Amino acid sequence: MVERDVPRRSVLRGVAAGGGVVAVSGSASASGSSLTFETHTEITFRAVVDAVLPETPELAEPLGAEHVPGGLAVGLDEFLITYANDLFTFGLPYIGEVGNIPIAGPVAAVLDLAAKELLDRGDNEDDPSVDRPLALLEADDTSAWVVRFAAGTFSKLSRRDRLRAIGLLDGYELELSPVSGFLFEADAGLVGQLVVGFAEVIYYSEWQGYDEFTQPPSQRAHPNDPDAVQSWRQTGYPGFADGYAALRGYVDKPDSPLGGGDVWKDLDGDVRIARDSGQFRENDYDTSGYEEPYPEGA
Amino acid sequence: MVANEYDAVIVGAGGDGPVAAWKLAEAGLSVLVLEAGPFHGNEQWPNPHEDSGGEASSSVEDLSGELLDEQFTTREFEMVNKLVFGPADHERGFYFRKFPGDGAILQCSGVGGTTLHYTGNHPRAYPASIDEQGHWPIDYADLVPYYQEIEEMCEVAPAPVTAKEELFFQGADAAGWDLLDVKNVTEPGYRPQPNAIKQPDEKLHVDGDYDGDFTYPEVEGDTLALGNIAGNPHPRGAPFEEKAKRASNVSFVPPALRTGNVTIRPNAFVTDIETDTWFGDDPSATGVEFRDTWSGETESVDAEVVVLAAGAIETPRLWKNADLPENDWVGSGMTIHFGDNVMGLFDGDDLAGRLGKATVDQHQGQDIAARFDYPGIGMLQTVGTTPGLGAILGFGASASGFTFQNDTADAPWDTMGRLAGGRLKELLSGYRRMLQLLVVSDDRPHERNGVTVVPGVSDENGSIPLVNYEPSEGDQQRRDRLAEIGAEILREAGASHVHRSDSPPTALHVQSTMRMGKVVDTACEAYDVDRLFVADHSALANSVGGVNPTNTGQALAARTAEKIVERYF
Repeated sequence: MVERDVPRRSVLRGVAAGGGVVAVSGSASASGSSLTFETHTEITFRAVVDAVLPETPELAEPLGAEHVPGGLAVGLDEFLITYANDLFTFGLPYIGEVGNIPIAGPVAAVLDLAAKELLDRGDNEDDPSVDRPLALLEADDTSAWVVRFAAGTFSKLSRRDRLRAIGLLDGYELELSPVSGFLFEADAGLVGQLVVGFAEVIYYSEWQGYDEFTQPPSQRAHPNDPDAVQSWRQTGYPGFADGYAALRGYVDKPDSPLGGGDVWKDLDGDVRIARDSGQFRENDYDTSGYEEPYPEGA
Repeated sequence: MVANEYDAVIVGAGGDGPVAAWKLAEAGLSVLVLEAGPFHGNEQWPNPHEDSGGEASSSVEDLSGELLDEQFTTREFEMVNKLVFGPADHERGFYFRKFPGDGAILQCSGVGGTTLHYTGNHPRAYPASIDEQGHWPIDYADLVPYYQEIEEMCEVAPAPVTAKEELFFQGADAAGWDLLDVKNVTEPGYRPQPNAIKQPDEKLHVDGDYDGDFTYPEVEGDTLALGNIAGNPHPRGAPFEEKAKRASNVSFVPPALRTGNVTIRPNAFVTDIETDTWFGDDPSATGVEFRDTWSGETESVDAEVVVLAAGAIETPRLWKNADLPENDWVGSGMTIHFGDNVMGLFDGDDLAGRLGKATVDQHQGQDIAARFDYPGIGMLQTVGTTPGLGAILGFGASASGFTFQNDTADAPWDTMGRLAGGRLKELLSGYRRMLQLLVVSDDRPHERNGVTVVPGVSDENGSIPLVNYEPSEGDQQRRDRLAEIGAEILREAGASHVHRSDSPPTALHVQSTMRMGKVVDTACEAYDVDRLFVADHSALANSVGGVNPTNTGQALAARTAEKIVERYF
């Protein structure tokens, strides 16, 4: 059992706020800034996307120029904030999206606390630098002095140290119900899931191809064309299809009912692919010789 | 219209509820099915994520293949957001539940439940998991006639071979395993998946010259374009009941409605179970209270019997929130098939020699069409995914940090852990030369694992489920062994790079939280509440050996429906 810790409680406070105003004392105040919460969140999410799905000029030579741009080139950071804030509902049905819990801010705060923990432990590989968040912004996004004030510790880490900081969150444990003596693991891991797992699934999905994903489903249009989705050009995925003439047949072996018809391909002289399908056998079974390969409590 | 009273009320129209509804209605009972999520492909709800639509559906004439075509776009990100457990209203987020670590629970809402996401895999339990592991009070033989009935309804058949399955079979054969051709598996080996997906039209053979648009009726059956995780509307243009994947909305809802005895009310979240207690007796279920997820209004309905089929998370949650008698095993003993991913990356030249083309093309064929069985340990299955889902399943999460933090010098895999950054992009540039294996272990029911609630940590439907899971040493060993076998099969198939995720606990299959023999009796009626039955995967007494649980859950639900009729009607 790891001790209760600030990052975890901060997440829970955000989650348990139940759709009300989420109070985050971790990031902006800790850095002494009176700047808007959004600016800090935006910078932090840019730093997330820059670490998880970076621009990769080193891939141009072996793989091609289409493999260079990363998540920032397609605005993944902004969408990730929107998505995080719409992810969970606690609210009342008739108030729609207003009833969702905005968790992007608490997530950014937790990432800063994880970054500080990494530095405290001395597990960082590179020194933090405010040049990094500055480099993540286009010149016309925000003036440099705002970034200097609003950037949290997480955004100042090197890419790999940012990943290390995210990794620290997986280790946190929580005692939610100390009275009953029953322990629950929870929830800082949700941050890692969101900023790594969700960032990856969104980036590699069809998301970029929508004009606006937040529209009602019946009004969403998607061109289903790799020209519209950067990641599809990077994976070679051709887009969604209604079918493929890709049938080879049915796996089969001699004296088996699995396949039928001609042999399409021999795999090893015994196992083969037959043109037609058969069925599984309704066999007698005998479990009396069963032994546990890995017995419980052994 | 929903009446005030029915013979049976079923809570949940997921994988199993419609089976029970069909069987009870066939026996002449009046049945109301309450479903928390939307009803896709139904003319009462032309835009089920945007408008509250109609109240209920009682006619098979309401079902529309055309609407399914429109709503099941197969676009992966959109479909995950449509189907994962939450209110129908697209403006609202998912329902929150807590899960350990950075794992996740895959749970769908809507008529069809998690079978909307499932990949059609319909194997039986390993007989030894029922008869030899000491958890089940009934025999495997008791289930066999129900398996047969379900398999016929779902048109279960050997899955077809495309390039990715051929590559797996080559590897499994070269690794020395036997090809199995049986339904009741007692020995290790590999075989095609017994899939509840109509087999593909033979004109889709690679040697043919098909160049059409894969629409019905020109093409019948599966069209080999993944799509099962996204609901699967294929073949496009087909009537509702001719869709290839036999998810419960397609296989069991139509015959249930056709009886004329079933009403399905979606957008209805059951929040309470009503009981009467006669002097000196156990309480008896008399009905349920439910909440309309669009309006927030609460209603109640009376029934002779109440059947819980809300799934292995929501069923124990409802019990606990309904303040029914305490039973230590309600919510406990959860199994999730503690899983993992092992991925092989192949060189184009090697593939050309083996497959006649330089790519695996995991986006072609059925999502999961080949498997490896090992009674006592679990299973492996090939999985083709669209790139986004592949990224999160294979690379987005790990219990052992990022790849650069793990030394794999002596391991059977080249890399292990979570992938991000340039290495992720480099690896995924080989998406079309990848074969992923899903590791699914025979984890055992432990009392510490399961669903609890804490008063005050609530959403609009009551205290939220807090899900706890910690594998035992045996669970870890079984999973490790399967990952090793998977890595060996991939190497034998020619993989040049093998990656293991070491996934955190992630619940794709959830079962055994209301176990037979602990919470419910051999007819699946609660020990502590009369006329309250469980007809979903939570009644399974263990993880059925680590095989896909849908067939067993449905077979047991069919059996339970017969027991209900025998006992009370």
